[in-house]
Amino acid sequence: MASDASTIKLTSALEDYIETIYQLVRTNKLARVKDIAKARGVRSASVTPAMKRLADLGLIRYEQREFIDLTPDGEVVARRILSRHQVLRRFLTQFLGIDDQRAENDACSMEHSLSPESMSGLVRLFEFMDNCPEGSRLLDLFHSCSLVQDGIAACPDDCSSRASHAKSSSPTERPSSLDQLAPGLAGRVVQVGGKGAVRQRILDMGILPGVRVQVERVAPAGDPIWIKVSGFQLSLRRAEAESIQLMVPTA
Amino acid sequence: MRIALAGNPNAGKTSLFNALTGASQHVGNYPGVTVERREGHFQWEEHRVEVHDLPGTYSLSGYSPEERIAQDELLAGEMDLVVAVVDATNLRRSLILVTQLMQLGVRMVLCLNMADEAESSGLRLDRAALEAQLGFPVVRTVGHRGEGIDQLKEAIHRVVEAPSYDDKLVLGEHLSAAIAGLRLALDEAGEPERLHGWLATRLILEDEHIAHRLSERGEAGAAAVAQAAAARQRLEADTGGDATLHVMGRYHGFVDGLVRSVTLQLPREDARALSDLADTILVNRVLGLPAFLAVMYLTFWLTFTVGEIPMNWLEELFAALGVWVSGLWPAGSTSALRSLLVDGIIGGVGGVIVFLPNIVLLFFCLALLEDTGYMSRAAFLMDGVMHRFGLHGRSFIPLMSGFGCSIPGIMATRTLEHEHDRLTTMMVLPLMSCGARLPIWMLLVPAFFPAAYRAPALWGIYLFGVLLALLLARLLRRTVLSGEEAPFVMELPPYRLPTLRAVITRMGQRSWVYLRKAGTVILAISILMWAATSYPKLDPVAVQGKTEQQQLAAQLKHSVAGRVGRALEPALAPMGFDWRIGTALIGAFAAKEVFVAQMGIVYSMGEVAPPEDADDAGSDRLRAALARDYSPLVGVSLILFLLIATPCMATVAVTRRESGSWRWALLQFGGLTAVAYLLSMTVYQVGRLVVG
Repeated sequence: MASDASTIKLTSALEDYIETIYQLVRTNKLARVKDIAKARGVRSASVTPAMKRLADLGLIRYEQREFIDLTPDGEVVARRILSRHQVLRRFLTQFLGIDDQRAENDACSMEHSLSPESMSGLVRLFEFMDNCPEGSRLLDLFHSCSLVQDGIAACPDDCSSRASHAKSSSPTERPSSLDQLAPGLAGRVVQVGGKGAVRQRILDMGILPGVRVQVERVAPAGDPIWIKVSGFQLSLRRAEAESIQLMVPTA
Repeated sequence: MRIALAGNPNAGKTSLFNALTGASQHVGNYPGVTVERREGHFQWEEHRVEVHDLPGTYSLSGYSPEERIAQDELLAGEMDLVVAVVDATNLRRSLILVTQLMQLGVRMVLCLNMADEAESSGLRLDRAALEAQLGFPVVRTVGHRGEGIDQLKEAIHRVVEAPSYDDKLVLGEHLSAAIAGLRLALDEAGEPERLHGWLATRLILEDEHIAHRLSERGEAGAAAVAQAAAARQRLEADTGGDATLHVMGRYHGFVDGLVRSVTLQLPREDARALSDLADTILVNRVLGLPAFLAVMYLTFWLTFTVGEIPMNWLEELFAALGVWVSGLWPAGSTSALRSLLVDGIIGGVGGVIVFLPNIVLLFFCLALLEDTGYMSRAAFLMDGVMHRFGLHGRSFIPLMSGFGCSIPGIMATRTLEHEHDRLTTMMVLPLMSCGARLPIWMLLVPAFFPAAYRAPALWGIYLFGVLLALLLARLLRRTVLSGEEAPFVMELPPYRLPTLRAVITRMGQRSWVYLRKAGTVILAISILMWAATSYPKLDPVAVQGKTEQQQLAAQLKHSVAGRVGRALEPALAPMGFDWRIGTALIGAFAAKEVFVAQMGIVYSMGEVAPPEDADDAGSDRLRAALARDYSPLVGVSLILFLLIATPCMATVAVTRRESGSWRWALLQFGGLTAVAYLLSMTVYQVGRLVVG
């Protein structure tokens, strides 16, 4: 064989052909040039050169005859292309809620340009969503958040705090309360504690889990502090800032 | 037609209200609270539109009196429409209140206020898209310049004529399901359908105010409350977190999506650069306080030094008026009407009106400080110290104003956002030794202190007042004004160039309140005080052959005030005071400086032929008489009492007005007098033991 099936690089047109052949073989046992032409919406005359190219690469058996079949290498390549297509399609319909027709078209154009690394990343995400007991709930949560355009900035605290627990083991972030932050430092809110009017006011001001806050300055007496949050500036007492838990980059 | 204006405290709601209603407004207080109530109206074609300015709030969650009032006004359902005023430079924050208004099922018009500032920062919004997603008109306004007012009126008209309100708020499946599940119960409790969304949300969040509202609706209401508790538990189980965070997260999620999808261009990164640069100096850890003190100095220089010039004109004017009115009667006339007009009304009301220039100038400065955004910075700088005594950073400026006069100081407490902060500041404010007490110190300090100790004594009086004010504030916050501390969390908007129009309007409104007070309550008290010192009349035969001064002294002793003074003597004795001081103290209630004049009358100064410089010599003789009759210990006791006790009648009247009830005015009056009594008595009694 000319090369290892897993390393063969094909043009998008050839990928589409091999995908089509795979599907035709699966349903009809054999593929004919005119079937391929019909499925791809092209003339038979333009299919022939592509078939020659694929045969040269050792992916199909094509000997000037009507019937075409995949070699074992061809089948590996075809499966890989098809699974990429399906993963992308599922991602578009199931996660993003795109309708079937558009998802089909988009998957076709995306599958050729996605690197194997990005692809396996998506596959891992699916596996997580399918197997993690929280997966479907998170997906629901995402859908309910994203009902309004793309408004996911205000994700409820539980997922952020869960995320932060997972991250707290990572050496790049450390937990801290807002009052402990020196001027110039910033962090991401993971929890807003406290109670009553103070907590309500903090939430009214948009200090919610997921939001980034930065300490700008400190009053002469050391209290209150002055912070920047989603584009505007606020002052609050240290006692109030104490109830705001953050993850702060350690770098 | 009735409409309401709702919005955040810094959204420019008041300037928009002024632009809408012009001079037709009425400013008062909500009954029993310190929250300002503004109403006005305008004419749109043939319709008269009543405009109601709701208190500025960040949400309707009902934690502060402002939030409760705003919520109640909207729940009452008497508004045909709500104009939601948002700060266009800060949509993400100000639209949160709008989501809550949407839940209240009211027809709305959104005002993108401060649009000029937003545009000059580079922000561009798709107004049509915003209208489409909110489902009601969005109008571009610049309140303080009156821009967009016609379009606003037109939009109001259009919405009121529209058939119904269509709620486009999206709150996610869990919360929507929880709300939907409570609709039937709310319906059975007799709640109108349009309120269901809001009431259900508040019940899920365990809002006691709303739970109380429903519990008054019998069993069906109680059932709704119980069902809401279950809905909350389910919501928390489904979303794995606390319900408050979930609901706030949904509001913010809706707003965030909205803002993203209508923002065509983000503001430039450096839009705030100039303001930030100013802040690096003005709120600098080292330079911030000196800069603040300089600003304060300028304010008080303008208020009390420059203000003294027109104040003198007014004093002369009232003096001339008194002479002119006196001249209407033949010389030597003892007409009661003349005395009432000249001594009672012109003297009493005039004595209060002469402070008008101070008030106008102080409010001009305060409006300027507020409108530029410096007031928030001042609060930021001072809060560290003030908070230790249970006060707010913003309390500092009203308290400082109190050194000039308690009245503008008390009126300036309006700049405080929270009721408890306002009340605490108001209660202790008379302890700032005001300008009218200076003549008293000028009389008493030289009388009882040797020359070398006079300056430190005067300084000590002021300092003692401040310390006592701070301590009493702390005491108040732990007793009658205890309870949960109001949040300090405060927005720091960029510095803005104020418009003269907005500053003058604000200044004018507050000054008018003061004048009206002088014309009503203070007029009444003046007449009472005049009667108390003039009646009953002494038989002219009894004072025959005596000098005029002796006649006056005898008359005062004979009057109600004199009798009360004498009746009080046993009570005053523990402090070392006699009936003469008692009588003068009653006069001091009218205005603090009257104490000096009353002492002069009681001592019938002027019995000796007056030398050329009558005034100085007169007070010297009075000092000598005081030093002769009272020990220095009584002097200290008296100074303490005058510093602390019985704020003047104008202060009491203004406290009554600003606090919304006589309760606080009487507590201030009684409380300060009691503290003064205890302290003076302690000083006198302990002092006597020590001195022997």
